[in-house]
Formats: sequence, C-alpha cells, structure tokens
Amino acid sequence: MDGPQSSHMQNSEAMDAPVTTTTTLEQDAARKQLAAALTRIAGGDRHALKLVYRDTSAKLFAVCHRILQDKGEAEDVLQDVYITVWQRAGAFDPNRASPISWLVAIARNRSIDRLRSRPPAARQRTIEEAAEISDGAPTALLQLEISEEHRRLMDCLEDLEPQHAGAIRSAFFEGTTYDELAQRNSVPLGTMKSWIRRSLLRLRECLEQ
Amino acid sequence: MSDETKPGDGAPIAAEYVLGVLSAAERRAVQARIAREPALRAEIEYWEQRLGPLASELEPVDPPPRVWAKIDAALVADARQSTLWQNLPFWRWAAIGSAAFAAASLAFVYFARIPSPNVPLVANLEKSDGGAGFVVAIESGGGGLTVVPAALSDVNQRALELWLIAPGEQPRSLGLIEAARAVHVSVPADLIRRVTPQSTLAVSLEPLGGSPTGLPTGPVIASGKLTKL
Repeated sequence: MDGPQSSHMQNSEAMDAPVTTTTTLEQDAARKQLAAALTRIAGGDRHALKLVYRDTSAKLFAVCHRILQDKGEAEDVLQDVYITVWQRAGAFDPNRASPISWLVAIARNRSIDRLRSRPPAARQRTIEEAAEISDGAPTALLQLEISEEHRRLMDCLEDLEPQHAGAIRSAFFEGTTYDELAQRNSVPLGTMKSWIRRSLLRLRECLEQ
Repeated sequence: MSDETKPGDGAPIAAEYVLGVLSAAERRAVQARIAREPALRAEIEYWEQRLGPLASELEPVDPPPRVWAKIDAALVADARQSTLWQNLPFWRWAAIGSAAFAAASLAFVYFARIPSPNVPLVANLEKSDGGAGFVVAIESGGGGLTVVPAALSDVNQRALELWLIAPGEQPRSLGLIEAARAVHVSVPADLIRRVTPQSTLAVSLEPLGGSPTGLPTGPVIASGKLTKL
C-alpha cells in the first residue's frame, strides 16, 4: 500500500470515532505531561510540584474527603500527600506506573492510615454516616472522559455479584474494613472475607484477559 | 497455584492492603514488610495500578487555597531552615555527584584491574511512611559506601545498623551508621560481589553497639534498592 492511500485510510477511521480518538490522545498527552512533571520534581523543581498540584489536587482532595468524611482532616492529609510527592517523586517509574494512579495510591494510603488512627467512637460515627452515602455509578459528565483502563475495570466489576462489587467499591472509596463491611451487609466476617478474596481473584482474571 | 511468580497472583494480602479492608495493625504489618520484600511491593504496585482508575468516578473537589499555601510554606521552610543535609533532592544529586567523583578518581585503578568497567550505584533508603531516610552513594567497585541522613531519625538511645540484602539471602551487616552525620562504610571483601542492582540496603534500629545476633533484631526504619547511575 502506498503512503498517501494509507494516510487517507487513517483519516477516515479517525472520522468514524472522533470523540474517542481525541479523548484518548488528550489523556495520553496529559499523562505524559504529568509523568514529566514528576520527573522534574525528583530533580528538586518546586514549580513542577505546583503544576502537579494544580492539575491533580481536586481529584486527590475528593479521594481524601470521601475516605475521611471530614474536610479539615482531608486538608491535612492532602498537604501531607503533596509533601510526600515532593520527597518520593524519584520513586515514580513512568515505564511501570500511570502517574495519576501512583498519586491516587499515595492519597488513599495516607487517608486510610489516618482513618484507622481515629479513636473507635469517632470511627463508629463515620461508619453510620458513610453507610448512607451511595456507591453509585459515575456521573454522566465523568463518563465522557473514562479511560480505557477504567472502562475495562468497570466491565470486570459488573461481572461480579452486585453485592460483592458493592463491597469492593465501599472498600476502595471509603477504606471500609472487613469488619465494617460484614456489619453493613449483615453477613459473618468469614463470609465477607471470602466474598472479597474471591472477587479480587475474579477481577484479576478478568483484567488479565 | 501454578503461576505464583506473576504479579497479582500472590497472597491476597497485597490486594487487600490496596483495596483498604485491612485493620490498622494489619496495615502496619504490611507496611513493615514492603521495605524488605520487593515481591510484595511489586504486588501492591500491580493492584494500585489496576484499581486506581476507579478514583476517576469521584467528582473533583477544589481544596481551599490555604492547602497549597501550607505546602508551599513547608517547602520554603525546608529549603531555608533545614540545611541541605535534610533536602533529599539536593542529596540525590549530591550523591550522584560524589559517586561520579569517586568513580572518576578511582577510574584509573579500576580500569587497570578489572576488564569490564563497573557502574557506580546509588540508593535512596525510604522510611516505611514513604519519607526520605538516607541517601547512599556506592563507590565504583562496591568497596565503600557513603551514607547520608536525608531526614532526622528518632533513634532514642539505640544504634542504627546498615544491612545488605542480596536476593534470596539473609541480611548481612555493613556496620553502624549515624542518625545525623554522613559516614563512610567499608564493605567487607566477601560482600563486595553482592553490591549489585539486585540487592537492597536497609537500616534497622538495634541496641547500642549493634545487633547482638548478626541479624536485624529491631524494626527496619528505611530501605531501598541499589540503582545504577
């Protein structure tokens, strides 16, 4: 096939699905930009940290706030998260990790550790409040910018028993322990553990396909 | 299971840790193991990457401007007050510089003795909470290390001992180091060939005078892989 013809074919393919193509390209560019900024932070570039904060703090604040259910604590943890990013950016490997998932992991770990350090009374109150928050589907607006990885994960979650998938989501978004999940779903602890472990195995199988 | 070496296939503890279902004590136990077990760390990274995209379901919430102001103030204070001793980015580059210097000054000797050139190594030893612990520059050839504290460690009447852990082997002591001062450590001749990018360095808290057993007896407070420059 000669050059001009193949480029014509690419154009017409792109026109079939313009939204998807643009979104993927934009996501790819954003990801590369973020990875490059993390590399600059590792070299001590404070301006790069400011760029990463500008582009990711609203997302990470949502992650922290959802887990902690307390604005003040979420602010403290968010501050800690970016100071950790400043110190640990050298450990980020763009060949092995997506920058946003790497940042989300730091935010979730810090938030869950903070949640676990609360006195038991405060924790109980949070469980009751959190139980009223739904683990609903993503908003319509966010659906538009869903990444391929996320779409795949959602498909795999849909293959699970709805109650099991709900428990996985609660744990991810709220840092809910096995004990709390068992209470909320009114099942014995052992049952909850086997739901989650089996679901994780099935998720892995599904994601590896 | 037949294929346990593949990431994601190991014990469920890594997936459970990432998912967030473990108790405080269970999480601490996993965090203490991460530093010493590269396979567990790889498992955890696998699940962080797999589950992370779920976070895009959350509606972003702008944090108040005071959060950035505090972060910025902390970085400025870090650069001004704490000396360069505590500034990890500085030490990361300084470590590379001094290792390169060591490499340059030793180049003649090594090129004369060893047919294939040795690549200098560095290691960032992170604390289990993710903070910077120590930066280590390894001389070309692996015969000596310079260990620089990157943050203040609370040692409280105990000693800090440095360990070299080759893949599949028990930790081997490289001697005691200082919490607030750079030290040079000579690597015993029988351990030099274990100073490779496959090995890990770790720092544990021990009784004054060092571990009485020859193996770490106290908690590991920082660890990291050796990496080539």
